[in-house]
Amino acid sequence: MAHSASFPVSPPSQSAVFPRVASIPWYVWCSAVAVTSTAIGLYWDISWHTSIGRDTFWTPAHLCIHFGAILAGLSSTYLILTTTFGKNPAKQESSVKIWGFYGPLGTFVSLWGGLTMLTSAPFDDWWHNAFGLDVQILSPPHVVLILGIFILGLGGLFLIIAEMNRANEETRASLNRIFLHVGCMLTILLLMLISEYSSYTLSHSAIYYRALALAMPPVLVGIARASGYKWAATKVALIYFVLWLLALWLVPLVPAEPKLGPVYTRVTHLIPLEFPILLFAGAAALDFLLDRLSGRNKWLQAAVGGAGFLIAMIVVQWPVGRFLISPLAENRIFGTNYYPYMLPPSEYHLNHQFEFYETSRAQFWVGMLIALAAAFVMTRLGLAWGDWMRRVKR
Amino acid sequence: MKRIFLFFFAGCLLFVSRSSAHVGSPDVFYEGMAGPYRLFVTIRTPPMVPGIAEIEVRSLDGDATDIRIVPLRAVGEGSEYAPPSDRMLRSQADTQYFTGKLWLMGSGAWQVRLEVFGTHGKGDTAVPVPAAARRTLRMQKGTGALLLVLMFLLVASLIAIFGAAARDGQLDPGVAPTTPQRRRGRIAMAVTAVAIVAVLYLGNMWWDAAASGRAEMMMYKAPPLDATLQNTNTLVLKMGFSSWHDRRKTMLLDKIIPDHGHLMHLFLIGQPNLDRFYHLHPEQTAKDTFTENLPAVSAGNYAVFADIVRESGFPDTMTTQITLPAVPGNPPAGDDSEAMVANLPDPSDAKKTATSSTLPDHSRWEWILDTPTIHARRPTLLRFRIFDKDGKPATDLQPYMGMAGHLVIVKRDLTVFAHVHPSGSMPMAALMLLEKQQGSTSAEMTGMPGMSTAMPAEVTFPYGFPEPGDYRLFVQVKRSGQVQTASFDTRVDP
Repeated sequence: MAHSASFPVSPPSQSAVFPRVASIPWYVWCSAVAVTSTAIGLYWDISWHTSIGRDTFWTPAHLCIHFGAILAGLSSTYLILTTTFGKNPAKQESSVKIWGFYGPLGTFVSLWGGLTMLTSAPFDDWWHNAFGLDVQILSPPHVVLILGIFILGLGGLFLIIAEMNRANEETRASLNRIFLHVGCMLTILLLMLISEYSSYTLSHSAIYYRALALAMPPVLVGIARASGYKWAATKVALIYFVLWLLALWLVPLVPAEPKLGPVYTRVTHLIPLEFPILLFAGAAALDFLLDRLSGRNKWLQAAVGGAGFLIAMIVVQWPVGRFLISPLAENRIFGTNYYPYMLPPSEYHLNHQFEFYETSRAQFWVGMLIALAAAFVMTRLGLAWGDWMRRVKR
Repeated sequence: MKRIFLFFFAGCLLFVSRSSAHVGSPDVFYEGMAGPYRLFVTIRTPPMVPGIAEIEVRSLDGDATDIRIVPLRAVGEGSEYAPPSDRMLRSQADTQYFTGKLWLMGSGAWQVRLEVFGTHGKGDTAVPVPAAARRTLRMQKGTGALLLVLMFLLVASLIAIFGAAARDGQLDPGVAPTTPQRRRGRIAMAVTAVAIVAVLYLGNMWWDAAASGRAEMMMYKAPPLDATLQNTNTLVLKMGFSSWHDRRKTMLLDKIIPDHGHLMHLFLIGQPNLDRFYHLHPEQTAKDTFTENLPAVSAGNYAVFADIVRESGFPDTMTTQITLPAVPGNPPAGDDSEAMVANLPDPSDAKKTATSSTLPDHSRWEWILDTPTIHARRPTLLRFRIFDKDGKPATDLQPYMGMAGHLVIVKRDLTVFAHVHPSGSMPMAALMLLEKQQGSTSAEMTGMPGMSTAMPAEVTFPYGFPEPGDYRLFVQVKRSGQVQTASFDTRVDP
């Protein structure tokens, strides 16, 4: 990274005269648990829909998602109220003030995310009644829910980074681990959001790389930049890879059967999501290139870093996609032989062939150019966001 | 801004579509045997698909104790594996009345399988259910108001958060913001407000597009039908393109199959008084074209209803209008039939049900009503008894196209049209597909209502009028080789 070394670099600490954060506050844990619960809930919900199907508000997956919203909402509200009306002026001094209330910036953001998630509930309920129970991820109410979840996660990041930027080195290192974990959860949330375009069956289409280039560089670069630790983006991508792989291998051990007709495929266990994307390749390219270009013009960093990310993803995912459609991947390790209950046997072959999103070579190359431009712009956005987060102290 | 404030109401458009399987009569009514148990099944299909169908079952002989239900596709993939069945709720007050709910997850031809338990052991049957989205729902005012308030709160708090982040977020603890930092906070709030307006505007556009796109994709539309008269007596019916069906070709919604012996059942009903009725059976002369050499038809305007059944058992009723000159020809023959309704009462007088009808051969038909008034959405067995010219129960009834009788129900404003048989409101072709799937033989099928070889003088039809209003019923049976049609008028109360 531009400013990274093997130890944390925190510019504010050089001139700080305020008391250092020496332990991990309870609300940081709450925030991390909330984001983790929501990410697990979303993964579980998608798996639930493909293996069990029946949907009520009270499915465990939904409860897991909403537990995250409620935990973040309650802990944020408690923290804001105790900071505003408590007798600890130091707390108010390290807070932002909104409408007369005091609290860390991250708590207000988390609260906003939680409220947005709750807003999506009546909206989604009406949408289902009006247009039927949908199976698409990107419907308007779902986008409101996902926006809420994502903002909830961002609030967690802001909360942790403010503590990090005021912490001593030992605590900062501990906080950094939580920061990277929350960053990883955000990465997972984003990957679930774009999953309709990031299936391995699309990995020979430009849309696959457009989706990755739009969604991944901001969060990877932003988190790495704010973290200040070397290979932070790679670590985030590796945590994602390991967790996703574990889910692929462990989720099918949970018995489940479809409770909605029509049942096209007999299912006896939860269906996991696809084999993880080898995102660590693109993340490593970002880490390496941005570190090499440390101190250079940020637009140049974004251009080289973004291009490096895109090229690394193509180099890795193009052959991996070819492998995943082959019979060699039809096993529990790579999991391409899991079929949702609603997939007719006559469509199993779709798991084992490429879907070509673009209908002509020209469209493909235009798509790839868009992916390159997106990677550039989004990397620049990530740099700006990361630099901003590194200065957040409240 | 007004448009943005209407964000949560903008998608609340009410789309209405004619239902499949008849017109304006989406519920399925079935009377039949589940092993030893005689059931009257009502399936209220959801207005939007995927959605929840409401199932009501009455055990007509009072011997069922438990009923389980499960939905499957009618044919093909998806009809093989069943999800776990649901137990129906048995009414405490009326122990032979059972209710339940089932998700229908897609449009097309479904079946609801019933397992019945009782004093005679276990019995089962399957009822065909065509599922198709008919309308979207308007957002309730309360929900809209709640969402509007939440939207204002979220927008205002987001602006405040951005302001605080720009003003205070990067300050060391205890340091008060300077004037430039305060200004930066205000600028951030202004920029955020503008950005939110832009996002809401774009979001509103996306919502409109998503809502109308979803409605367009989901909402059922019968194929358009074009009717023309050629060569003085040849009626040519050309089916138009239906994107709804085209999208669902893999669900066997393409090929047309015979329904009790004919690929199309065509009804011409005289306008505006419903005083002329023709039940004809055009031949398919091209993939989307049917032709009929008309019998003698009197001049006038006609409402045209054309019933077809797809390979999956999914029915379509296509509608159009045609004005015909006096068409020369012979009276209808074979399975074709006609009826003229004389002494048509003034619609304003049709306040109660006409329970008796006398035909030109002096036979008398009675509609036996269990209650003096008929209420909408209430499942009932419509019972008709036929007496010969001597006033004795008719003994010469014969199967008419394999059925004891056919009933056509038309609302005066033509918003409801249903073609019902003694087994129910579903096409016989769909029922036979399921019978075949379950391994029933044609001999067993004779056990279905209206299929008995010893034909009684009474014919019943399970049905529930979908909405209040004035209806005309055309009841058709075959007697001594001749098709007879009697008409009855009724007013259905709410």
